[in-house]
Amino acid sequence: MKILPRNMEEAQEQEAAELLERRASRLREQAETTVEEAVHWIAEFPLGEERYALSLEMLRAALPLRMVTPVPLSAPHVVGVLRFQGQVLSALSLASMLGGHGWRQDPAVLLVVDRGDGELCALDCEAIPRPTTLPASVVEAARVRAEGPVMEVFTQDRQLIHLIDLKRLFNPRSTGGRNAR
Amino acid sequence: MPVDPMLQGLVTGFAVEAQEVIQKVTMDLLELERDGLDSTALAKVYVRLGRHLHTLKGSASSLGLQDLGDIAHKLEDALAPLKASSRKMPRSVVDVLLHGLDLFMLRAQAHADGRGDALPDPAAALAQLVAEGPAPETVGPQASGQAPQSSSAEAAPLATPEESALVESSSAMNQDAQPESADTGWRVSVRQVTSLMREVERLREVRLRVEERGRELDRVVTVLAKQGLLAETAEARTLLAGTSRLLRTDGEETSDIVDALEEGLKAITTRPVRTILDPLQRMVRDLSRQLGKEARLSVVGSELSLDRRLLEKLQGALVHLLRNAVDHGLELPSQREKAGKHQEGALTLRIEQQGNLLFLECSDDGSGIDVMRVRKVAESRGVVTSDEAERLNENQVRDLIFRPGFSTRSDVTDTSGRGVGLDAVRASVEALQGRIEVNSTPGQGTRFVMTLPVDLGSSPVLVVRALEQLVGLPMLAVEATQLARADSLRIGKRKAHLEYQGQLLPVVDLGARLGLRALAPPAEGQPLLIVQSGGKRVALGVDAVVGDKDLVIRPLPSEVRDVPAWQGAATLSRGELLLICRPDWLVTETGQAAVTAQRRALVVDDSLTARALHRAMLEAGGFSVHLAASGARALDRLATDTYDVVICDLDMEEMDGTQLIARLREKKETSSLPVILVSAHDSAAARERGMAAGADGYLSKRECAAGRLLAEVLDVMSRRGARA
Repeated sequence: MKILPRNMEEAQEQEAAELLERRASRLREQAETTVEEAVHWIAEFPLGEERYALSLEMLRAALPLRMVTPVPLSAPHVVGVLRFQGQVLSALSLASMLGGHGWRQDPAVLLVVDRGDGELCALDCEAIPRPTTLPASVVEAARVRAEGPVMEVFTQDRQLIHLIDLKRLFNPRSTGGRNAR
Repeated sequence: MPVDPMLQGLVTGFAVEAQEVIQKVTMDLLELERDGLDSTALAKVYVRLGRHLHTLKGSASSLGLQDLGDIAHKLEDALAPLKASSRKMPRSVVDVLLHGLDLFMLRAQAHADGRGDALPDPAAALAQLVAEGPAPETVGPQASGQAPQSSSAEAAPLATPEESALVESSSAMNQDAQPESADTGWRVSVRQVTSLMREVERLREVRLRVEERGRELDRVVTVLAKQGLLAETAEARTLLAGTSRLLRTDGEETSDIVDALEEGLKAITTRPVRTILDPLQRMVRDLSRQLGKEARLSVVGSELSLDRRLLEKLQGALVHLLRNAVDHGLELPSQREKAGKHQEGALTLRIEQQGNLLFLECSDDGSGIDVMRVRKVAESRGVVTSDEAERLNENQVRDLIFRPGFSTRSDVTDTSGRGVGLDAVRASVEALQGRIEVNSTPGQGTRFVMTLPVDLGSSPVLVVRALEQLVGLPMLAVEATQLARADSLRIGKRKAHLEYQGQLLPVVDLGARLGLRALAPPAEGQPLLIVQSGGKRVALGVDAVVGDKDLVIRPLPSEVRDVPAWQGAATLSRGELLLICRPDWLVTETGQAAVTAQRRALVVDDSLTARALHRAMLEAGGFSVHLAASGARALDRLATDTYDVVICDLDMEEMDGTQLIARLREKKETSSLPVILVSAHDSAAARERGMAAGADGYLSKRECAAGRLLAEVLDVMSRRGARA
C-alpha cells in the first residue's frame, strides 16, 4: 500500500472536523450544566432599602415615568393612567400596593407588566431593573412557603430578594400587603 | 334526502337566506297576534307573510329540498283561511306556524351542514302540523271556502308558483349566497381588520397633532410680530402664515380621509342591530306565555349597525336580561291590574351610540328590585355575611344581584333559579371592557344600563380645567356656557344656585367634586357650564374652558373602571390622556358635608408618585388630602383653602421646601401652620437645614412608611396645638 502525504484540503477538512467536535462537546457540557442549574430570570430593582424583583417573563417594557394623567377619586394606590401601544393602562404605586413602603428616590421608571390575567398595567419603580437569575429550585421552594404576593428568596451570596408574584398581587382575594408573606 | 352535490354550496347560502326570511315571518306573526291593528294593516301583514312563506317554499323546491318545500306549503295552507278574513290571528295558530318555522329552520340548517341524509322522515312532523292547524270553521265563514293554492297565486300573481319560486330563489341566491363564496371578494381575518382600525385611530391622532402644529406656527407668527421687528420679519411671517394655512388644509383633508376610512371599515365590520334584536321578540313572547304573563318588547335604535363580534357577544347578555325581566320583573296580569297597570308588561330595549360609546338600556315596568329581599337572600346564600350586608347602602345591595350564585328564586325552573345569569351578564360586559349598572324603583320597574366601547367613531368633547386637571365633558351633555355673575347667583350657607332660564340650578364646583379642593362658591367671572343628563341639570363651575375636540374615547383599565366619575379616556395631541367625565355622575347629588368635617392635609411634591404615596398614607389615616405639584401652586391653594398640616418635599424646582416655609411664616394666617418636610436626602445636614428653615418635622422618604408618616403628622399637629 502506498502511503500518500495529506494534501492541503484534506488537512483543512480534518482540522475543521476537530474544531466542530470540540465545539459540540463544549455545547454538550453546557447543556448538562444547564440541566443541573435551572434558573429563573428576574428583573431586580430597589424599593427603599430593600431589593425587590419580578419574573422577567412578566415584564413587557420599562418606560420613563411621564405622561401619566392622575385619576381623581381613584383608589389610593392608583398613580394615574397612561397610554402604552394604543392601550390605556393604569400606573400603580408599588410601594402603596405593598402596604405603605418607604422609598429612597422618587420613582422615575414605569414597569409595564402582565398582571398574570393577560391584562397589562404599569408599576412605578425607583430605577431601571437589572436582569439577573435565581436558582429555579429556590424560587419554587419560596413559592410553596409564601402565602402572600411577596416571596423571600436568598441569593447564593445570602442577599435577600423580595420576589413579587404578580398573579397573587393582583388577585383581589390576596391582601396585597407585606404581612401576607 | 340527499342534496345534489352541485347544489350543496347553494344550500348553505339558502340556510342563511331562510334564517332572515323566517325572522321576518316571525315578526309578522307576532304583529298579527297583537291587538290594535286595523283591518287594512292586518291585510297588509297577511299578504307580506304569504309572500315570505311562498319565497321559502320556492327557494327550497328549486334546490331539491322537497321536505322543506312541503313544510312551507303546509304553513301556507294554515295561513290561507285566515288571510281572507283579515282578522287578528288566534294564538293557537301563531303557535302552530312558529312551530312549523322552527322545524323548517332546523332541517334547513341540517341540509346546509350536510346532515340532510340523517334527518327523519318529515311525514310525521307534517302530519302533526296539519293536525294542529286551524279547522276552517274556527276562522269564520268568509275563509272557509278558500283553497290553499289561491294564496300562492295571490302572492305571485304574474307567474305560476313554480316559475315564481325559481325566480325568487335565483335572485335570493345571487344576493345572499354568492358574495360569501365567489371570487369577487376577499377573505380577511379579524386581526387584519382590527389592525386597520388601530391605524385609523392613529391617523385621527396624527390629525390632532397636525392641528396642534398649526397652532404652534400661529403662535410663532404672533411672537415675531410682537418683537417690534415687523419689517425684518415680514418675509418669515408671510412664509410661516402660508405654511400654517397649508397645514390647516392638510389637516382637513386628513380628517376627510379618516372619515372615509371609518365609513368603509364600518360597512365591512358591522351589521344591523335588529339581526340580534328581532329573535328576542319571539323569545319574550314564548317565555311570557309559558309563565302566564303578558309582555311586549319595544325596541328603540334597532336601525343602528354595530360590530358583528360585539353583537354576537351581546346577544347572550340581552337574552339573560330579558328573561330575567319577564321572570322576575313583570307581574302576572291580575297583579298588574290590581296595581293599576296595563295587564301587558312593557319591556324596552334602547340602543344608542354616542361617538365610540354604545349605550344599551334594558328596562321593564314591573315590580322593581326588592332591596330587603335581595339583602336577605344574599345573606342566606352566603354571598355576603350579615355584617357586610348591614354596611351596604341600597345601590350596593342592588349590585349584589350581579354576584355569582345569587338568585332570589327559591325553586329552580327552566327560566331561572340556578344563580347563573346576571353574573354572566356582567362578566360578558366586562370582557368587552364595558360596565353595567342597575336602577330600580319599587313598583315601577327596573333599568339595566350597559356602556360599551366600540372600535370606530369619535365623540365631540369639551375640554375644561379644574386647577391643573384637564377634564373632558361629552359635548352632548353641555347645554350652554356662561360666566358667573353675582346677580344671577343665589349663594346659601351650604349650596349655591344659578338662576337660569327661570329655574334655579345647583352649582357644582368641578374641582371640589373631584376632591381636588374644598367647596367654595363660584367667583365672579368663573365659567359655568350648564350640564344635563337624564333630565337633571346643574351649573358646573370650572376654572377654564380650554376648547372643543373630536376625540376617540377609550375604555379605562380595570383598576379605575369602577370609579363612577369617569367614562373613559381620550388621547390628546401630545399623547397624554384626557379623562372623560360622566355627565350623569355630575348631576347626581352627593353629601359633601361629611368631607368638610375631616382633618385636611396639603401634600406638596413635584413627583407624581410621591404625591400619590403620601395621599394614600394620609387618607388611610382619615385625612382629606389635597395635592400641589409645586411651591407656587401650594401658595395658591393656601390662599383659598385652610389645612391642618402641610407635607412638603424639600427639593423642588423653582421654589424648594425651605423657601415655601419662609413664605408661609411671613403670613399671619399660615405662620403657625404645621409643616413637615420630606426628602430623599437622609443626611444630618439636610435635616438641620430643614428644621432651621422652620419645619415642624423632617422625614426622609425612606422613613415614610405608612405608620411613620402618620405618627409624625399627628405628633407635629399635637405639638403645634399645645403651643397655640
